[in-house]
Amino acid sequence: MDNNIKISFEEIYSTYWQKVFRLSMGYVNDIDKAKDLSQETFIAVWQNLSKFRNESSIGTWIFRIASNHCLRLIEKERKMPKGDMPEDLKEEINNENEGKKDFLYKSISELPETDRIIISLELEEIKQSEIAEILGLSEANVRVRIHRIKEKLTKKFESYDD
Amino acid sequence: MTININLKELWNEQSTVIPDQKEILEKADNFRKKNLRKLVLTNILLLLTSAFIGFIWYYYQPEMITTKLGIVIVILAMIIFLCCYNLMIPELKKSDYSLSSSEYLKKLLGLKEKQKFLQTTMLNIYFIMLSAGIALYMYEYASRMKMLWTIFTYGLTFLWIAINWFYFRPKSIKKQDKAINELIDKFGNLSNQLYKEDQ
Repeated sequence: MDNNIKISFEEIYSTYWQKVFRLSMGYVNDIDKAKDLSQETFIAVWQNLSKFRNESSIGTWIFRIASNHCLRLIEKERKMPKGDMPEDLKEEINNENEGKKDFLYKSISELPETDRIIISLELEEIKQSEIAEILGLSEANVRVRIHRIKEKLTKKFESYDD
Repeated sequence: MTININLKELWNEQSTVIPDQKEILEKADNFRKKNLRKLVLTNILLLLTSAFIGFIWYYYQPEMITTKLGIVIVILAMIIFLCCYNLMIPELKKSDYSLSSSEYLKKLLGLKEKQKFLQTTMLNIYFIMLSAGIALYMYEYASRMKMLWTIFTYGLTFLWIAINWFYFRPKSIKKQDKAINELIDKFGNLSNQLYKEDQ
C-alpha cells in the first residue's frame, strides 16, 4: 500500500471519526448502529481513497460517503430486523445538559431522513454551500430547509423546557 | 440566536471512543475476503455440476442427438446463470458513495430496477432452459421403455416442472419483487424529499 495514502488515512480517521459518528448518531440515535455506520463509512473511505481526485474538498467527499451510507441504511435494516440488534447500554443521565443532548439527538432522528442529514451537517458547522454540494441541492434550498428545521427543533425544545 | 448556539453546543457533546484504526482495516479486509469466497464458491459449485453432467455424457455415451442437446442446454443454462451472476453481483455491490446524495439515490434506484428485471428474466430463462434440457435428455432413455412407463415418466417429470413453473417460480419472483419494490419505494421517497423543494 502506498505510504502517502496510509498516512493521510490516519489523519482523516482521527480528524473525521467524531464528526462522522455524530452525523450517524443524528440519523439513527442509536450508539451501536451509529458506530457501525461510521465504521462502514471509513471502510469505504479506505477503499476509495486512491480514487479521491481533489474535485471537492476532502471533507465534502467524506460527508458524501457518510450521508449516502446513512441513506442506504434502509436496505440493511430490511436484512437485519431491529430485534436482532444488541440493545443499547443505557448511559446514566448525570446532568441537565446530558438530557438535553439526548433530546436533541432524539428529535433530529425523528425528522425526515434528508432533513436529519442537513441539520447534522449544519450543526457540524459545514458551510451551506458545501452542504448543498454534499446532497446535490441548491444553496437556497439548503438555507430554507435549515431555517425550517431549526424552527421545528426550537419548538420541540420549548416543550422540553415546559 | 441563543437556541442556535445551544444546539451546536449540545451537538458537540456527543462523542465516543475512537476505535482502533486497525479494527476498521481488518474489517475491510474480512469483508473483501468474504465476498470473494462467496463468488468463488458459487462458481465452483456450478462448474462442478457441469463437469458432472459432462462426465455422464462421457461415461454413458448417449446415442441420440436429443440426449446430447439436453445436456448442452442444461450446461448452457448454468453457464448463462454463472456469467450473469459474476457480472451482475460486483455491479450491484459496488456503489459510488462519493456522488452527491441526490445523484446517488438516482443511481441506486436505477440499479434496483435493473436488478428487478434481471431477477425475473434470468429466473425465467434458467427455468425454461433447465426444463427443456431435462425433457430432451430423458427422451433416449424413455424411448427404450414401454409406452406406459414412458407416459408415466414424462407425466411425472412434467408434473414436477409444472409445479415449479406455476407454483414455486411465481412465489419466488413475488417474494423477490416485494423486497425490491419496497426498497424502490423507500429510495424513491428519499429522492423525493430532496427534489420536492428544489424545483
